[in-house]
Amino acid sequence: MSASRFNLIRVAALFSALGMLVLTGIVVLSYVTLERTRASTEEVLETRERRGALVDLLSVIQDAETGQRGYLLTNEDRYLKPYERAVKQTDERLARLAKLLQSDAQSSDFIKKLSTAIDAKLAELSETVALAKAGESAQAIALVRSDRGKQLMDHLRELLSEKRNDVEARLSDAVASQRENAAMLQWTIIAGGVLILLAGLGATWTLVRYTSEIVKARTEVELLNAGLEFRVQERTVELQRANEEIQRFAYIVSHDLRAPLVNVMGFTTEMKSSLETLAALTSDPIIDASPAAEAARAAVATEIPESIGFIQSSTKKMDSLINAILKLSREGRRTLNPEAINLDALFQGISSTVQHQLLEAEGELVINGKLPTIVSDRLALEQVFGNLVDNALKYRDRARAPRIEVRARHERDGAVLIEVEDNGRGIAEHDHERIFDLFRRAGAPDRPGEGIGLAHVRALVRRLGGQITLTSELGTGTTFRVRLPRNLRLVLEQAGELRG
Amino acid sequence: MIEDDEGHARLIERNIRRAGVNNELAPFTNGTEALAFLFGDDNSGQVSARKQLLILLDLNLPDMSGISILEKIKANQHTKRSPVIVLTTTDDAREIQRCYDLGANVYITKPVDYDNFANAIRQLGLFFSVMQVPETQ
Repeated sequence: MSASRFNLIRVAALFSALGMLVLTGIVVLSYVTLERTRASTEEVLETRERRGALVDLLSVIQDAETGQRGYLLTNEDRYLKPYERAVKQTDERLARLAKLLQSDAQSSDFIKKLSTAIDAKLAELSETVALAKAGESAQAIALVRSDRGKQLMDHLRELLSEKRNDVEARLSDAVASQRENAAMLQWTIIAGGVLILLAGLGATWTLVRYTSEIVKARTEVELLNAGLEFRVQERTVELQRANEEIQRFAYIVSHDLRAPLVNVMGFTTEMKSSLETLAALTSDPIIDASPAAEAARAAVATEIPESIGFIQSSTKKMDSLINAILKLSREGRRTLNPEAINLDALFQGISSTVQHQLLEAEGELVINGKLPTIVSDRLALEQVFGNLVDNALKYRDRARAPRIEVRARHERDGAVLIEVEDNGRGIAEHDHERIFDLFRRAGAPDRPGEGIGLAHVRALVRRLGGQITLTSELGTGTTFRVRLPRNLRLVLEQAGELRG
Repeated sequence: MIEDDEGHARLIERNIRRAGVNNELAPFTNGTEALAFLFGDDNSGQVSARKQLLILLDLNLPDMSGISILEKIKANQHTKRSPVIVLTTTDDAREIQRCYDLGANVYITKPVDYDNFANAIRQLGLFFSVMQVPETQ
């Protein structure tokens, strides 16, 4: 389960990383392609400009030649103007071309050659024009006829056209590379898109699987939880039933034990009254003659009364024990009546009932601070704390004045902790659990009692949904701590015990 | 007197006699015999007609509950007016209510302490001596 979850997380992370990687690749490739497109565009523009410059240069030289021819034919100055303008522009056009071709490696050679060819052509032109100006038209025409000018012009044309071809090849190269770039960008985008889609699908698939696994696990936990709750409820019901059974058992046992006890006591009393008749007989001197007279008198006067006395004291003791069990089992069956109880008032009441004993022993009962108000059963609380205070006085240390201190505080979980501390004779550690058992007592058996009080107290505290614990040191004192729920009604509601 | 504990029965008899009650006393230790005596073999209760009956009833019997005997006595037209005194060890409040609801005339808890027990029975005997018991139909 945890391994597969770990794998799922790893796979999801992998897909995400892959998507990021592809995205980064697309961005980088796009940038590179764009950069290359920009460079080739610039080259296209530049090449175009170069071509323009080449064409311009040729046309300006052709303009000059045209002007020369016109002048030679007509000898009119009108035709000389375009010639002169063209010659003037030639330098400028050449300079522009040179500047444009600057970045090329072999351009300076070309420019040199071109410049020489132009100079030669322009020299030929100016020579014929000068001859015509001087009136030697025939000589000028002869010079033209010599084909030197045509050869020079052809050479120039060849030079320029060669360069133009060169430039045009580069232009088509640049355009091709631009097209290539565009295609590459397209492919990059398509491939990247597909890859991102795949990564996204992978991540989604992982997520869906992970989510469905979580949902499955949660359903499982919910099922287990429901089962657990059901089992707890079942156990609680079982426990309640067992508890009820024990209480019923205690009730029936104590009840049925009483019947034979009545007989034992009844017939003992009957025997006692019969004994009076016998005593009258044995005291009669008539029986003096009998040899058994002395023994009979002793039996009637001492032995039988003594036996009857033992039977009676034992049955009385047994009776009080049975009564104690009966009381406990009855307490368990009593319906609790939750109401708001001011613990201050409760302890004031207890204090006034033991006032006489306190005065006699010169002791005191101190309520430390303000005690809270809780919702509980009044009778049960009175019995619990009445018993604890009674015990504190009953088992006081005879060497000092008894001092009982009561304090309370709220616990975090909605319970109230009430402490009853005394400076009595204390309880040895091995007796701390034992004193809560029925008919068990601790310390010197110098005080009257049956060992019922604390068993009763613990049963009551448990019924109120609380616990009782103690800390004690022999010879120093004892502190009983009673933890009670702040609201008994809630406890009873939870146990389904509250009716109405 | 329907009382399963013979010791109790004997103690009750002695104390009633001491109080000066000399009426006939028929003791039964189980419910079956008692019902046979009260309602006869035909179970009609005709046998109890024209008698003055006072029934002392214990609730814990070996063969049936004293409460069902009480129910039968109070449901039978011949015995319904006969006073029934429940004398038992149970002092459960619900049980007591139930008995009175069913028409019990007196409910007495047997004191465990014998002195109190004897005292209670003697007083009951004194009460019997002044009590008017109607004749059954």
